[in-house]
Amino acid sequence: MAARATLRLAALMALAVTLLSLGAMVLQYRLVENRMMEAQRDLLTADLGGFAALYDQRRIIALRQAIDYRAAAATGEEMLLLQDRKGRVLAGTLTEWPKGLAPDGEGFEVDGAVEFDEGGTRWLAVARELPGGFPLLVARSLQPVDDTLLALRRGILGLLAASLAAGGLFGWLSARSVMGRIGRVNDLADRVAEGELDARLPGIRSADEFGLLETHVHSMLDRIQNLNRATHRLSDTIAHELRTPLNRMLQKLSKIEGQEALTSDLKAEMRQAIRMFDSLLDISRAEADQGTGGGLVPVDLSAVALEVWELYEPLAEDKGLVAKARVAPGLKILGDRNLIAQVLSNLIDNAIKYCSAGDTVTLDLSVQGDRAVMRVADTGPGLPEDIKGEAFERFVRAERDRAIKGHGLGLALVRAIAARHGARLVMPETESGFALEIHWPRLQHSE
Amino acid sequence: MGMDERILIVEDDAETAAAVRAEVEALGCSVDHCDTLEAGVAAAISTPYKVIVLDRMLPGGDGVEAMARIRAGGSTALILILSALGRAANRVEGLEKGADDYLPKPFEPDELRARLRALLRRGSMQVLDNDLLAFGDLEIRMKARTVHVKRNHVAVSPKEFELITYFARNAGQVVTRMQLLENVWNLHFDPGTNVVDVHVGRLRRKLEDAGSPAIQTARGEGYIFAPKVVTG
Repeated sequence: MAARATLRLAALMALAVTLLSLGAMVLQYRLVENRMMEAQRDLLTADLGGFAALYDQRRIIALRQAIDYRAAAATGEEMLLLQDRKGRVLAGTLTEWPKGLAPDGEGFEVDGAVEFDEGGTRWLAVARELPGGFPLLVARSLQPVDDTLLALRRGILGLLAASLAAGGLFGWLSARSVMGRIGRVNDLADRVAEGELDARLPGIRSADEFGLLETHVHSMLDRIQNLNRATHRLSDTIAHELRTPLNRMLQKLSKIEGQEALTSDLKAEMRQAIRMFDSLLDISRAEADQGTGGGLVPVDLSAVALEVWELYEPLAEDKGLVAKARVAPGLKILGDRNLIAQVLSNLIDNAIKYCSAGDTVTLDLSVQGDRAVMRVADTGPGLPEDIKGEAFERFVRAERDRAIKGHGLGLALVRAIAARHGARLVMPETESGFALEIHWPRLQHSE
Repeated sequence: MGMDERILIVEDDAETAAAVRAEVEALGCSVDHCDTLEAGVAAAISTPYKVIVLDRMLPGGDGVEAMARIRAGGSTALILILSALGRAANRVEGLEKGADDYLPKPFEPDELRARLRALLRRGSMQVLDNDLLAFGDLEIRMKARTVHVKRNHVAVSPKEFELITYFARNAGQVVTRMQLLENVWNLHFDPGTNVVDVHVGRLRRKLEDAGSPAIQTARGEGYIFAPKVVTG
């Protein structure tokens, strides 16, 4: 991604530089072309001037002699032709009048000079018909101009290609260098996002903006890590500090005699409070550990699912529910057996709790691509509309369910544990009741 | 369980220590108490205790980490971790690092008593791995995984077989729901609902139908497996 942006920038710069130099070269080309054309025109003017002077003295005779003389010493860069009124050649470098070129006017002025092609060469020509019907052609080859311009064009094209190539190479090199350095930081961010909070870049920081970025990222990570440690310590301390007084209460409660019903009620209430407390700690720990592979080992998800199902099945049957499980065997994931069991226990317990006799509770475990999909569904009352969006938040309970025992942490714990395992929660639309799918990342069989 | 059995309590909270001491003395064992980890480790190494009740967050360090030192010092005591770090992950960690049992605080005295009894018993009777466990007219065959009452086969599910085996190994003693969940289902969290009761109830009815009222409810505490043993 970073490389693409850098590459785009480098390409843009190379293109801009190339366009600018192209503009400069085109300008230069035009100047050279004009100057050379002017030079040829000057030569033509000089020729015409000479012939005009001769013609002034002795008319056609002098002109014929001069052209004869010039034709004998022709270098190929000039074209001369003088004819009589019948079209016979009096003198010149040609044997006939070139086609497609008509005499125009009768003076020796260079104005009105035309370009034409003859023998594969461009010529700048002045064609006249002198008084008495003598066609005169005086032309200069534009070959030197064209040769020079061709060389110039080739040069420009070569330079253009070279500049594009240089720009591309420069862009690729700088992109590669930037990508390398940004990539280091990106890799670090990825590792941290996956939970490896203590990941750092090795080596010394360079004294440039990249080094500064790395230093900033490092100090940010240090801060996050410290906060994370403090949170862990705090929850452990809370666990300790609150449990000790609860423990004393429980001990004293056991000394009360003769009020069995009341003390056992109180004990149940305390157990409930401790459960809530454990769930909260479990949620925050699972959230803190989210993405870290630490503590996760290969677990037979199918086996755990069946074990928890078997634990709850009699309870469902006793309540008059229809309990059905379809568990594909041998599905393995990287996980924590107790956490997975807790998730499933929460879901099945909820299903049984909210359903009434005649309802159906199902557990499905199947493979979908690289995921093991665990689906717990029931035909009970389902989630009320008013809490659908926030059912996975802590302490969210529906007004409707106030009478049913619970603390609103079950689904929050399910979500935290799923996230801890890199699993995705999907709440499929159902006609009735509640259904939840957990898509666990499957462990591919390696042995 | 005689008076000669000594139990060490390593616990910094005086009230908890007193509560544990009361339970231990009720079981007829003698008690030593240390309130720091260092003193606890030193005592554990110098005296042959049967059971050590060990806290985790102690002045001086974590009891779980100290278990290795206690073992390295030559102690063969069974270790019961008693800790406020009570989440499933903590319990599994403690058991994996060598604890013989793990009881989270706050605990009910009944629960502690049941656990201590189980540990004391574990220490005294090792050879129970016979193929046949017989309690009067109730017979459990380990290899065949069958249960017979009065020579009649009682059909039990695999889980029910594990359940009755656990009961049998702790015959005559109160077994709590939490112990069953941990030892039979290997689950270290409180599911909130008394799912275990349903399973015990089913097994109990099967045995009763076959004529053996072996499993009884111990009020408030759990269950007790007390089949009538015909002496003679």
